[in-house]
Amino acid sequence: MRTGKNPAKDGLPAYTPHRLGVALIVYIPFTEGYFENSLEIFRYQLDSLRATTGEPFDLLVFDNGSCAQAVSAMQEMYDQHQIDWLILSAHNIGKAGAWNWIFASMPNELICYADSDVLFRPGWLEASLQVLQAFPMAGMIGAQPNFYDVMAGEGTAHLALQENDTYTFGDYWPAKETIDEYCFGIGASEELAAQFHSIPLPAITEQQLEVKAIIGASHMQFLIPREVSRQVVPLPSTKGLLRKETMSIDYKIDELGYLHLSTPESYVFHMGNTVNERLIEEVEHITASPEISAPARQKSAKPSTVQRWLTSLAKHPRFNRLFLRLYNLLFRALYSEAMEK
Amino acid sequence: MRVGQNPAKSIDSVPQPANVTVAVVTYIPFLSGYYAQSLDVLKVCLESIWENTSADYDMLVFDNASCPEVRDYLNELQRQEHIQYLVLSDKNVGKGGAWNFIFQAAPGEYIAYTDSDVRFYPGWLAHSLAILEAFPQTGMVTARPMRTPEAFYTATLEWARSQPDVVLENGQYIPWETYLQHVLSLGTSAEQAREWYESRSDWRLTHRGVQALVSAAHFQFTTRKASLGQFLPFKMDRPMGQVRSLDEQINQAGLLRLTTCDPLVTHMGNQAPADIGSRPTPASTRANRLAEISFIRKPLLRLYDAIFKLYYQ
Repeated sequence: MRTGKNPAKDGLPAYTPHRLGVALIVYIPFTEGYFENSLEIFRYQLDSLRATTGEPFDLLVFDNGSCAQAVSAMQEMYDQHQIDWLILSAHNIGKAGAWNWIFASMPNELICYADSDVLFRPGWLEASLQVLQAFPMAGMIGAQPNFYDVMAGEGTAHLALQENDTYTFGDYWPAKETIDEYCFGIGASEELAAQFHSIPLPAITEQQLEVKAIIGASHMQFLIPREVSRQVVPLPSTKGLLRKETMSIDYKIDELGYLHLSTPESYVFHMGNTVNERLIEEVEHITASPEISAPARQKSAKPSTVQRWLTSLAKHPRFNRLFLRLYNLLFRALYSEAMEK
Repeated sequence: MRVGQNPAKSIDSVPQPANVTVAVVTYIPFLSGYYAQSLDVLKVCLESIWENTSADYDMLVFDNASCPEVRDYLNELQRQEHIQYLVLSDKNVGKGGAWNFIFQAAPGEYIAYTDSDVRFYPGWLAHSLAILEAFPQTGMVTARPMRTPEAFYTATLEWARSQPDVVLENGQYIPWETYLQHVLSLGTSAEQAREWYESRSDWRLTHRGVQALVSAAHFQFTTRKASLGQFLPFKMDRPMGQVRSLDEQINQAGLLRLTTCDPLVTHMGNQAPADIGSRPTPASTRANRLAEISFIRKPLLRLYDAIFKLYYQ
């Protein structure tokens, strides 16, 4: 039976999510071979995300059936309040299956999705938001120019803008370094790299704000408004990582009339599964530079000095025991009559 | 850079979700005072689900910022695959916030929701699903007969009266012991319960050979996921106290609110059942009697609430 009043009913405020939520899917089934560096890379990702995100955000990590060591590492991060929502799935339900969870449930107005091997650079959010502001019908905004059209020319949503004078279409030639870096990140062959160097990317420019965006977005990282994300789920999910299934998000977004866009510059980098000196240098640079250090965490309401002092006192092991014993004594004194019924 | 092919690409099939997702929301900020027995209660809740659910289902637990002892317990259950999906929330997003999360994400066609202080008995899910099948317009089925304000089930009665093949009967269908057990679990006195019981009656429906009583409650219910979509998102700015709107909205939407005819779940509240060896309750002392005096009780209550807030924050 219920004895006493549930203190949670006492009119206290519940947590209000931030405008931005970042969701990462982790799948590290073991820590050898292909996944040998995956945990380290995931830590780099989190460090870069915190250092470069220009506004407070909620972080959701979806663990898609990783090994005990990886799960333990994530639980530790959660215990240290580095993760706001940790979802542990007993089995790998596929990337699309995890997307179904994320895109159906994240309460934030804007959701940034990223694979767990993406490095964030300063300005990624600002550049993405600039594109969203200029193109309100954007459904998916990548922070890296999109080199690979997953829809193979079948996307049609952007065609609706061709008759609109506000927008101009044209070719965009990314910087050589941008292409080289992209090719390096995905481990592209020389032939594929040569192809990327020889073909321009389709671009669209919003004339009034003078914002240019590349048509197309990658699955490895993108920003998606909640109102769009809710409309694209559920996605079919029968395999671990099947392009046909992950592509269904692109077809749905396009069918709904939302645009796939990406920034002309690279604000994210695909780290893949290997660590090298160049990567470590960049991570150190990103996380060390004070000028790009962002307000990574935000307190919902600033408590008074006395409240802060009492709260920290309550967490001290000795006082914690004392406070909880006092609480227990008070409960028994206040509700003993009800407990005896 | 990526070296080698991602082995995830070679996973030929992934487990498909069960038709039913059993979803539990937990919030135990510490193991003292009101929550002293809450971990024991939670254990009874989860174990009774595993023991008494014969149909195929996935277990989803949303932990709304509980204390480390509860998290450790849940993490261990997830590791043992007793819980298919464990959602840990670092902050209390309110019961409405947790509902928003799980009702949108739960992969099953049916969602069987429960607070973490409910004990389950054999047949609870089968009977609930049978009612959902026999009464397709049903919005929620609670696996225990009970009485709730008529304002929450006017649509159910209206629908029943309009259906020629539905038998609608009025009478005392809930046995006194069953009624009393639930009302006592909410902290109401036996005298009050007797007065309520004698002054009201129950409505019973029969359709396609299945019987159900009219009423339902949000502490435990089974529903179709598709039925809930129209009510989401719920307001979530307080940890509790806003979820009754679901009862109202289901009725306003013309959906039925029904219960099983037999008690297949019990509400434990914050006291673990005696049969699992819960801690003995203390006898009254002079301090307890002093705490009953109004001008002493008020400051004690304030201190009691203040300590809770320290941990809530």
